[in-house]
Amino acid sequence: MKFLYQLIATVILSFLIQNFLPWWTMAIGSFAIGYYFGNKGFISFCAGFLGVGLLWLGMAMFIDVSTQSILTEKINRILPLNVFVLTTLIGGLVGGLAALTGSLLNSNE
Amino acid sequence: MVPHQNSRKLGKIICSAMKIVKVGLSLIITVSLIYFLNRGWNFGVPIPPLGKFLDPFHGFWQNAETGKVKDHTLSIMGLKGEVTILYDSLLIPHIFASNDEDLYLAQGYVTARHRLWQMEFQTHAAAGRLSEIVGEVALDFDRGQRRIGMGMGAENSIKIMRKDPEIATVLTAYADGVNALINQLKYEQLPIEYKLMDYEPEHWTELKTGYFLMYMAKTLASSENDLEMTNALNLFGKETLDLLFPDREPVSDPIVDHPASWKFKAVSLDSIHANNEGGIATIQPLEKQPKGIGSNNWAIGGKKSSTGSPILSSDTHLGLTMPHIWFAVHLNAPGVNTMGSSFPGAPSVIIGFNDSIAWGPTNAQRDLVDWYKITFKDKSKSEYLSDGQWRPSRKVIEEISIKGKTDFYDTIVFTHQGPIPYDESYHSDKQNKHYAYRWIAHDGGNMLRTFFELNRANNHSDYMAALDHYYFPAQTFAFASVSGDIAIRIQGKYPVRRKDEGKFILDGSKTSTEWKTFIPFDQNVMIKNPERGFVSSTNQYPVDATYPYYVHASNWENYRNRRVNRVLTELTNITPQRMMELQNDNYNIQAEEYLPLLLEEIKSAALTKDEQTVIDLLANWNYVNDATSIAASYSEAWVEELQKAIWDEMLNGKTNLPIPSDYNTWWLLKNKPDLVFYDDQSTPEKEDRKAMIDVAFRKAFARIRDWEREHNKAVDWASFKDSNMRHLLRLEPFSVHATNGGNANALNASRGGWGPSWRMIVSLEKSGVKAWGVYPGGQSGNPGSPFYGNLMEAWEKAQPYRLKFVSERSQLSGSTLFITTLKPASK
Repeated sequence: MKFLYQLIATVILSFLIQNFLPWWTMAIGSFAIGYYFGNKGFISFCAGFLGVGLLWLGMAMFIDVSTQSILTEKINRILPLNVFVLTTLIGGLVGGLAALTGSLLNSNE
Repeated sequence: MVPHQNSRKLGKIICSAMKIVKVGLSLIITVSLIYFLNRGWNFGVPIPPLGKFLDPFHGFWQNAETGKVKDHTLSIMGLKGEVTILYDSLLIPHIFASNDEDLYLAQGYVTARHRLWQMEFQTHAAAGRLSEIVGEVALDFDRGQRRIGMGMGAENSIKIMRKDPEIATVLTAYADGVNALINQLKYEQLPIEYKLMDYEPEHWTELKTGYFLMYMAKTLASSENDLEMTNALNLFGKETLDLLFPDREPVSDPIVDHPASWKFKAVSLDSIHANNEGGIATIQPLEKQPKGIGSNNWAIGGKKSSTGSPILSSDTHLGLTMPHIWFAVHLNAPGVNTMGSSFPGAPSVIIGFNDSIAWGPTNAQRDLVDWYKITFKDKSKSEYLSDGQWRPSRKVIEEISIKGKTDFYDTIVFTHQGPIPYDESYHSDKQNKHYAYRWIAHDGGNMLRTFFELNRANNHSDYMAALDHYYFPAQTFAFASVSGDIAIRIQGKYPVRRKDEGKFILDGSKTSTEWKTFIPFDQNVMIKNPERGFVSSTNQYPVDATYPYYVHASNWENYRNRRVNRVLTELTNITPQRMMELQNDNYNIQAEEYLPLLLEEIKSAALTKDEQTVIDLLANWNYVNDATSIAASYSEAWVEELQKAIWDEMLNGKTNLPIPSDYNTWWLLKNKPDLVFYDDQSTPEKEDRKAMIDVAFRKAFARIRDWEREHNKAVDWASFKDSNMRHLLRLEPFSVHATNGGNANALNASRGGWGPSWRMIVSLEKSGVKAWGVYPGGQSGNPGSPFYGNLMEAWEKAQPYRLKFVSERSQLSGSTLFITTLKPASK
């Protein structure tokens, strides 16, 4: 359950921060949430990864649908990997690592 | 202290040390990853800053647009009053301002809003600054731009324009508008190219407008082949040279053919020797503009039109890129109401119309470049010989920033004639010869005054007065007015030349070889209301033989002019729709003239059944280069192979040599059946005309069969020629391919990356001016906008849009996409 709460909290906080601040600030959000929940390292990483990854994927898909994929296809041809996969991976990786760092700081081991 | 307490404490210390290490490691990895993803890299291929770029809240995703925008109001510093910008359904802004300053500020703002990246990229290109953006690959290009004096020209133009208070104000207002937009931009709103290449726009300056004008000058007025001609003179001798490159080809219908009208006293100079300076030049010249770029324009008087009023057609042919070179705009303020196409980077409408007149330019060709052989005293190049004296040279050190590398410093030597582009460090001449580059664009000029006045002109005399300020790039301006006049005038600053002057490299040690004076503007080629009822120009030889000045260019157009004049002479009761069809005319006079000869020569050849089928196809062809034509593809391939076969001496040798014009190639083929050039240099046998035509056909046939296998379809002309509007960064996903007909020598001069860039028809009716226009591309420079390439289909079909030209903004109500209101910002 704590995993799910961390995930949802990461989505919400990152969404709020990202609306106003540069892309990497979501790492601070994910880090803070990771610290707060204090989950085990791997669980925290997964929650952060999925939290930010899904947020980025969801937002990207929303833009893609509302603009009828006008840019998605073009960027897909420029980048070596599918742009949705890449967006999720990059966001997820940074979010996950930040959450891991947070949880490690809070651990008593 | 008991021992186990000690070990527990030690354990704790180890534990917290481990934790610090773990947290620290995790933190370092996280921060390093963020750092890595926050900037661009180059591992052989450039990689954008992935985190920044992919972030859906600020990155490239934010550049995807729906095209729907709500009406909105913005505060702009420096505005005097309120400006209303109504966008019509094509995203053409109709700008209504209460004074000139606000008008041009708003034009700068709006242009930057849709085309900022392009504006900066093109002016960076002009200034030789692309290395800053794309890295070392552009260094050779950048050095070249600086070495031909682009900077000197831009600065001189701005100096001249700043001295004209009205134009200075316009320039400043335009720059303020561009900067107002730049200052408002947040990262998420940056054009996608900035995000991709990881850099940011810098401030716009008046000098950048100067650079943009140089960008156009280089495209339009730097055509020459003096080095190549000098080499040809040395290798072939004068007689062969005159045969291959006659001053005047016996064919064209000049722009003005009016032998009785040149009654002025022409300026004359003492003659000089035709020069043969210094033997062969072994420099590797910079990339040339493609041969035969040009344009069509014409205007018909009321007697020929269906409406009883003049109709003007303007169709400029330029390099077709995405974003497109033109941006359509409507400018309205007290004293001015004008619409047409503008350059992203310069104020005013450049090709357009107002309530009273319409104008459209074509390139005027003419040689406006000379090369002077310079004798330096020693290797320091500090002094050079001029009229028997050593004159000091001037050295300029250019600092070129390169992305990811240390700066490059380039020393450019100037003589009084101009810069020395090629030297030991650049495209070196093995013999260490030096040539100074003299170009009309170095002098600068106040061409913005011309457009400022044309935008406000009421009649023919206003048009004439406006053109008096125009120095370069020389253009042939067609004109038509509501009051019923039509006219054409070739305007530019032309040096008075002696026969053969400017064809070859000149002796730089004698000032007598230099430009002494310029043709007085009222002695330039022009005509008003000619008897034939129309005026036209297509970059052909400009004037009849009685014109008292020597006229020379490295190439003239020889086909489109005859086609347009043939059609316009026959037609009466011409409608605007007929004019649109004529703009899209794919009739290929060149094919009409050469194909019968080729078919005759190949008759006796032993052909396979498949080859014979193609010959039959060509024999029944109507000489129309339509999109679906198969014969057009074969014809073009045959011509290309034939050109390569005839001029292999020029194309394959180590010395740079000029290539004769298309027309003269066919003329020679027809009239000189024994020309020595027909022999293929790569075979021991001696080929004659027949053999050459035969071999060229088989090569073309094989090439097309390869193409068909590769593309898995029949070779339709549109696919074979592939009109590709390439993105300025050469990114294929941002480029757009068109499916259309055309040919370099047809009125619809559409081919690979060149072609009709702004097609405009203006009917100057007394009841109100009606106009149509279209260009390949779209008003938005954003590949993520529905308005990026939305005009392409109408352009392919040559069905221009009716332009919503009004005099009151209320007349646009109901047909606007959205309205932007600009309000003065209270400080």
